[in-house]
Amino acid sequence: MITVKNLTKYYGTGDNKFKALDGVSVNINEGDFVVILGASGSGKSTFLNVISGLERPDGGNIDYDGKKLENMNERELTEFRKNNTAFIFQQYYLLPHLNVDKNVKMGAALDKNKDYKKYIEAVGLGDKIKKFPSELSGGEQQRVSIARALAKNPKVLFLDEPTGALDEKTGRQILDYIIKLHKEQGFTMIMVTHNQNIAETANKIIKMNSGKITEMHENKNIKSAYEIGW
Amino acid sequence: MRSVGDIMVVGLKDGFKMFGISIMTCCAVTVCNMFMNYYLDLTAVENLVTGEYARAFYDAQLMNSKVVCSVSGGCLLATTVIMLFFYIGHYINSHGMEIGILKALGYSDIKIAKGFSVFGASVFSGCIVGYLLSFSLMPKFYELQNEEGLLPDISPNFHLPLFLWTVIAPAGFFALIAVGHSLIKLKQPCVNLLKGIARTKGKNRNVKDKKNFISDMRSSVLRSRKTLVFFIAFSSFCFGTMIQMSSSMRELSSDMMGIMIFIIGIALAFTTLYIALTAVIKSNLKNITMMRIFGYSAGECKRSVLDGYRPAAYIGFLIGSVYQYILLKIMVEIVFSEIEGIPAEFNFDFPVFFIVLLSFIIIYEGIMLIYGSGMRKIPLKQIMSE
Repeated sequence: MITVKNLTKYYGTGDNKFKALDGVSVNINEGDFVVILGASGSGKSTFLNVISGLERPDGGNIDYDGKKLENMNERELTEFRKNNTAFIFQQYYLLPHLNVDKNVKMGAALDKNKDYKKYIEAVGLGDKIKKFPSELSGGEQQRVSIARALAKNPKVLFLDEPTGALDEKTGRQILDYIIKLHKEQGFTMIMVTHNQNIAETANKIIKMNSGKITEMHENKNIKSAYEIGW
Repeated sequence: MRSVGDIMVVGLKDGFKMFGISIMTCCAVTVCNMFMNYYLDLTAVENLVTGEYARAFYDAQLMNSKVVCSVSGGCLLATTVIMLFFYIGHYINSHGMEIGILKALGYSDIKIAKGFSVFGASVFSGCIVGYLLSFSLMPKFYELQNEEGLLPDISPNFHLPLFLWTVIAPAGFFALIAVGHSLIKLKQPCVNLLKGIARTKGKNRNVKDKKNFISDMRSSVLRSRKTLVFFIAFSSFCFGTMIQMSSSMRELSSDMMGIMIFIIGIALAFTTLYIALTAVIKSNLKNITMMRIFGYSAGECKRSVLDGYRPAAYIGFLIGSVYQYILLKIMVEIVFSEIEGIPAEFNFDFPVFFIVLLSFIIIYEGIMLIYGSGMRKIPLKQIMSE
């Protein structure tokens, strides 16, 4: 269970100082699929950065099953990320000089997971295991980044606009992969997106604006990646 | 990059940022100009050299000047060319987006490449500083070269051809090869430049599987930038050669020569090491950030990105130690064999070797630790906002 209480985050100094997060509180249950919606500058990415331990909050608490993120030093935060989280980004950020196999091994090695090749198969890239990122399409690269993230068996998966750089067909395919793997493995999934349709695939929807949560509700009518608009 | 007239080119400021090239050329010109100027001034008084012993000393001095010039000048020239190529490649890779846009807009390769001629400015600045530095050292150098008064008293004279060859020609030469090399580098589709494909395509074809990811990453980092392996080895080579040589030169020649070689050695070693390590970190910044985001510690990032260069560094140091020994042995036993006051044979100085090796280990490993701890401070959220 992730409990976030009264989270605040400031950027800038002096006259340029502004509040990127303004007292955000939320509870996320284990196995939840949460979508955070918001326009550019709404604070959704800052929220993701802070609750994933990439950035420190200026106020408030983040509690992961009793572990207080805000009290951790840099070493403890690294250890926390190693044991609990994984990330998927819009721009994939694969290691360009390593092939598919080794990119996925990067995630797997942190969990001493020697059986990582099954994730490459699961995302349909079994025949491209020796290919380099530059030899893959955008959709294939994103599938590699999914395999890399899942190969470390995360408890929480953070996704920052994972379909933002993809066309509709590939985007749906990627979303379908993610949802399928989420159902199979039961990890918690927190996704930031500006695509309102994607929110229909999640069980919890959070809307943000000006650093605040403006709306939060459970989604009773969960749809598949192929049932939503794009 | 900056806008000049109707086209964005490499700015003069970018040219002067290549201070590594300036330091390298400064060292080369200081040494070469000092010895060549001495050579020219000495040949002008050839008729005044009388006596068999003075003649032998005279010939040895001329030979010495030629050897020092060709060895130090040649090595430094070759290294400077490699460094320039590296800089240009690195510049084009890191500014691929801007250059790609220019190409997409219809600017020709030659029009863009012309801008790279400003890299000649960094060579010119190094050469002119080296030239002036050598002139300021020359009176004392001349005095020490003829300490025993075997040769006629000579004072440094200005030689225009030498000025042209050591200052103007290198600046022009480097400006030309900068344009030529950038032209070759620019010969790729602009979409590749825009997407940064040139940086990664086709590399590491035959990388063998290693036991763990850190080893995989280490060999990938090494293979992706082979020039940096050379620079790190060269940096250690300079350190090993020059520091040990400076100790021997204090006995064989003078304190001044010893100190001069020491300073040049330190300057070259640290400059090349700084350039190489900064390039390693910059070119792997995203990889390090991703590793940190996924939970790799700063120590693991250091091991995968920096530790692969260690063998090259130590091999460079060892080659440098052997090289300086062979060079000095040739100088002592062949060039100066007939000169009084110079020992008949030259032996490897093991105590100095071990002291310099220990200093090298402390300095090199210390610098690696500093760079490694710097990885801890890389802001992780930047990658999220790109």
